[in-house]
Amino acid sequence: MSAEQVVRATGLVKRFGRQTALDGLSLSVRQGQLYGLAGPNGAGKTTLIRTLCGLLRPDEGEAELLGWRMPSRRVRAQLGYMPQDFAVYDDLSVIQNLEFYGSLYALRRAQVRARADELLELVRLADRRRQRVGTLSGGMRRRVSLAISLLHRPRLAFLDEPTAGVDPKLRRSFWDHFNALAEQDVTLVVTTHLVEEAQRCGAVGFLMAGRLLTEGSPDEILAETGTSNLDDAFIVLQERGEDPT
Amino acid sequence: MTSLAVARNVLRRLLRDVRTLALIVVLPLFFVLLYGNSFSGSYSGLRVVVVDQDNGLASVRTAELGRITLEMNLASAFIDALDPDTFDVRLVEDEEAAIAAVGAGSWAAVVFPKSFSNAIVNEAVRAGGERKATFEGETVTLLPSDPLDAPSTVIVVDDSNPLLASAVLDGLDTAFAAVLETQRSTLDVDSLLDVRPLYDGRIRMLDFTAPGIIGFAMTLITVLLTAMAVVRERTGGTLTRILIAPVSAWQVTLGYTLAFSAIAAVQTAELFLASVLLFGVRFVGDPGIVALVVVLFAVGLQGIATLISTLSRNEAQAMQFVLFLLIPSIMLSGVFWPLETMPATIRPLSYAIPLTYANTALRKVMLTDAPLGELTFELAVLAAIAVVALGLSVFTMRRQAYSA
Repeated sequence: MSAEQVVRATGLVKRFGRQTALDGLSLSVRQGQLYGLAGPNGAGKTTLIRTLCGLLRPDEGEAELLGWRMPSRRVRAQLGYMPQDFAVYDDLSVIQNLEFYGSLYALRRAQVRARADELLELVRLADRRRQRVGTLSGGMRRRVSLAISLLHRPRLAFLDEPTAGVDPKLRRSFWDHFNALAEQDVTLVVTTHLVEEAQRCGAVGFLMAGRLLTEGSPDEILAETGTSNLDDAFIVLQERGEDPT
Repeated sequence: MTSLAVARNVLRRLLRDVRTLALIVVLPLFFVLLYGNSFSGSYSGLRVVVVDQDNGLASVRTAELGRITLEMNLASAFIDALDPDTFDVRLVEDEEAAIAAVGAGSWAAVVFPKSFSNAIVNEAVRAGGERKATFEGETVTLLPSDPLDAPSTVIVVDDSNPLLASAVLDGLDTAFAAVLETQRSTLDVDSLLDVRPLYDGRIRMLDFTAPGIIGFAMTLITVLLTAMAVVRERTGGTLTRILIAPVSAWQVTLGYTLAFSAIAAVQTAELFLASVLLFGVRFVGDPGIVALVVVLFAVGLQGIATLISTLSRNEAQAMQFVLFLLIPSIMLSGVFWPLETMPATIRPLSYAIPLTYANTALRKVMLTDAPLGELTFELAVLAAIAVVALGLSVFTMRRQAYSA
């Protein structure tokens, strides 16, 4: 494995009963890359992320993160994970949630506070830090969840639909932040069901029925499909997949 | 029609969940099987220690031959008359050892005096008037003698369980009555007996059941609270988030154990205080020993609760699994009636329930001031349950994250 490749998956197969969620999927992500996993609901994005993180065991194939074959305890301190469900404590305040998760990464209270200031500014919840999470809107809770997953400055972060339910202006600032993190050599794998949103990524993988339709930079995909936007590119690739002739 | 639609929707969702459906069908049957077996209404295996000092001789006056000595070992007849299904009779030589065994595995000690047969025959003749007997092939008429100053038969009974003490005395009375019947006497059994309750009747039924009820309340609260909390962590995704952090499953399990132990400690203290202050429940033992029993028991319960949460997809399922622990706990752990009343077929189940050991240990300390040494077995079992259950919790904790 090249030193630059921080995510590498080979021939991943994951079945749930008779349904195949991942169908021999292979993937590699370089260090400092902002990788967008785009595809409709049910394409296998969440299953892929959970498998890569070691939360699901693949039926076939293997995954490596930061050079360690998953599941491995060694990568956990450097791994950020934002699940699709909120995974926050509704009965705690925003700052209490951050403090608790920070303690799991051995962050001191002062470190958490300082980091919380930055992140809550980013997710525009600085004025809500003492509010109980259960009283926040769905979009706000998702933003708390995002702040938690970036709290410990992970080297590699998997963010499952971080922009779902977020207003366009804030969504744009999220993508700006993700790009800024990538420039600081943080690797991010971000899923989205809004294919066009993946335009903001350095590399994109189109996922459909547990398989990668294609991967590359947005420009490469547009050139490959002869389209002017990623939505059209996805449709072209989907049709090619359905009709290989 | 709307109500019907709501009802149909509820039933459809329940029927779709195979595990819940199975629980719905199995739970009532399980309940009936348990109460049918545990409420047998009869006792078995009640250990009674007998010291037979009876010399088996009766010196009686006769109309024909004057005073003669009849051989008739009535103490042996008494032992033979004891219902073998009810009593587990142990014959011992030493009177002190027999009495010391009461409350330590034996429910009663019966000490027959040397002149037991003599006293019975003479008292029976006096109560029933003249009667015939056969002596060396001749029929003789037994005549009443002057009243004897014979020592009574001593019965020391463990009255820590008033219900059971009464059953033991009834069983002994029946055997005595059967012996008197052989003497064709209308003699009052009680006049021959010196019954000494171990606790002088100071232990009420409430005192006897209180330790078990407190243990049951602990089971209910601790298991429900822990199982629900872990299921909620898992279904809410927070457990996954915890376990993807650089923490080990045992650290997480220990964290849960510490938190719920603290809660259990507060609740248990409340249970004991309220029982003693409001209802005067007997508590003569060392609170430190009670605390040790409670901690071991609570830790084991938390381990079991975590295992239940692993088996449950949601809180409703967890609730039903908890019932599978609670129902046998209240019925089979000796809370209301001793294990001796349960059919031998179901007793192994009793020994698989943690509350059986907690109840026995708490009862010993609270009611009889038992020292630590007398609780070695119960404490060892509770510690073993705690270690195994916690070990399995750690093992399954990570699986919970995988399956979330």
